[in-house]
Amino acid sequence: MNKWLSLIGLSLASLLITGCSGSDSERDDGTSTRPNSDRITIALLPKLKGIAYFTSCAEGAQQAADELDNVELIYNGPTTASADKQAQMIDKWRLQGVDVIAVAANDPAVLSESLKKAQDAGITVITWDADAQAEDRSFFVNQATAEAIGGGMVDTMANDLGGPDAVGEVAIISATATAANQNEWMKHMETRLQSYPNLKLVATKFPGEDQNAAFQDSQDLIKKHPNLKGIFGISSVSFPGAAEAVKQAGKTGEILVTGLSTPNDMQPYVKGGEVKTVVLWNTQDLGYLTVYAAAAIRSGELQPGATEFTAGRLGKKQVSGDQILLGDILLFTTENIDQFDF
Amino acid sequence: MKKFAYELFLLGLIGVVFAIAAILDPRFLSKNVQLELSSEIWELGLLTLGMTLVIITAGIDLSVGSAMGLCSVSLGLCMHANLPTWLCALACLVTGLTAGALNGSLVAFMKVHPLLVTLATYGMYRGFAEGLQSATTNAPVDASEGIKSLAAGTFPLVPLLFAALTVWTAILLGRTAAGRGLYAIGHNEEAARFSGIPIAKLKFWIYTYTGLLAGLAAISYSARRSATAEAGMVIELDVISAVVIGGTSIEGGRGRIAGTLLGVLLIHETRQFVDWYWQRSELTLIVIGTLLILAVLGHRFLFAQNPKTR
Repeated sequence: MNKWLSLIGLSLASLLITGCSGSDSERDDGTSTRPNSDRITIALLPKLKGIAYFTSCAEGAQQAADELDNVELIYNGPTTASADKQAQMIDKWRLQGVDVIAVAANDPAVLSESLKKAQDAGITVITWDADAQAEDRSFFVNQATAEAIGGGMVDTMANDLGGPDAVGEVAIISATATAANQNEWMKHMETRLQSYPNLKLVATKFPGEDQNAAFQDSQDLIKKHPNLKGIFGISSVSFPGAAEAVKQAGKTGEILVTGLSTPNDMQPYVKGGEVKTVVLWNTQDLGYLTVYAAAAIRSGELQPGATEFTAGRLGKKQVSGDQILLGDILLFTTENIDQFDF
Repeated sequence: MKKFAYELFLLGLIGVVFAIAAILDPRFLSKNVQLELSSEIWELGLLTLGMTLVIITAGIDLSVGSAMGLCSVSLGLCMHANLPTWLCALACLVTGLTAGALNGSLVAFMKVHPLLVTLATYGMYRGFAEGLQSATTNAPVDASEGIKSLAAGTFPLVPLLFAALTVWTAILLGRTAAGRGLYAIGHNEEAARFSGIPIAKLKFWIYTYTGLLAGLAAISYSARRSATAEAGMVIELDVISAVVIGGTSIEGGRGRIAGTLLGVLLIHETRQFVDWYWQRSELTLIVIGTLLILAVLGHRFLFAQNPKTR
């Protein structure tokens, strides 16, 4: 009998635990899963949760959702850069009947089926940060053109290594091998590298969206290529990983690291001398623009063929074809890095 | 009744999950939603069948998810080469069988601890999968029409196969000499050896069987998503959790397929509902962890006098 009592106690305890957490989140997002006809529910899916880059995008997205009083924002993503988990989330959002799904795709092929089904169910599908297959979404909110980002990183590296005649071996630490954005940037990096005949690309690595793996890959590169002069870290976690590897190898000043990451993450390396210039865009604005674009597309205000639309505090933004462009890249150096907080 | 007290406890917990869902968001319980979400349960279910046998012998297989990734990549390579569907599926199963047999040989014949063996192959198989993928297609391969209609078409082949294998595994475990041998190994390997139980042979075959199931799971996964080295990533955590929540003792000697089935259902429904309602990936991890501890404590309460009761 005693056992049965404790059993009931356990079940009640579990009910309580779940019940408590229920009332907790009721306040911030528990209501967001209930559809309402004149409100727009936007589900924003990052490549992964819990890294500074996407967290700052989410902050901007929340600002936009607060300004637009008919928008409910759901922000959730996998805890590792898993396309499979993203597909599961898209499937759930379709079943719940959200209005817009905005995806930063880890893998266009894996997500294709889920995105198609969502579109068939009448959901507006857009992409941001990293594109999916063009037929699986209506618009792509692009941070900057691939040419500006890829070319910009190469120009920055050459400039920091001594100008147009910069000499040396360079390597790329990318992220997930299937991510469309990194792959697109690398194409333009290789093209731009041809303008610097003395910079030689000796290796490209794909550690995934994983700072520790990027650190290890960079260590391997430093050992294997003693003449290495520069490393490009082209994701927000590859970049600090590579900079940390250079620092720990005692190669500060010999090997220069540049790439894409948030100023807060890179500030110690800029101060330390491993990095001269950080390339990025305003990530908060990217999240902000994505939510404004999602709402405008859903309400019919922004339609295919438009050339521009107004996105709140960002003003008029250019639309070319099926791409909405945030703008240009930003460069952070010792002079200005303290002025940015994201 | 007493014999099934723990299974009743699990049913109670599943009832609690459904009750919470009914209060917070009844849409989750609709047939349509449950059917759609169920597509994710079959791979987990298949893998737990082998894992139950392995854990009953006081073993463990950490490499199931990685083996699944390797199988998925080999399936992708065959589809990429436009081989016929049956050959692609066969290659995938043979890959799983080989991966399992390697684990089995090292555990059974070389007598290396299963935790060490499968920790090593956990890394190896995933490494092979990723290396093979980046050396060949460098990207996931979309499932061919043949594979899609085989494993994700209108005919529910995967669920039926899962049902058949569940019955087969339950009979093997509960009604045959081999099954009694597995319990005996888990209880006391030394005693089992003196009773003339073919320990090495049995161990070899259960790891090989688990590998074969990883091959089947890989076909199901690849048909739903795509053939990729990412298949089965961290699924081993759910597989082991489901088996242990299902009442199989991690120290071996105790466990039933019925319990494992309930464990799979409990993990699946809990994960899906927490994901569904709270939209926080990190919360799901915490809840599944809490569930595991709750189940182990629940088992201890129920069987306080006789911890080795089957």
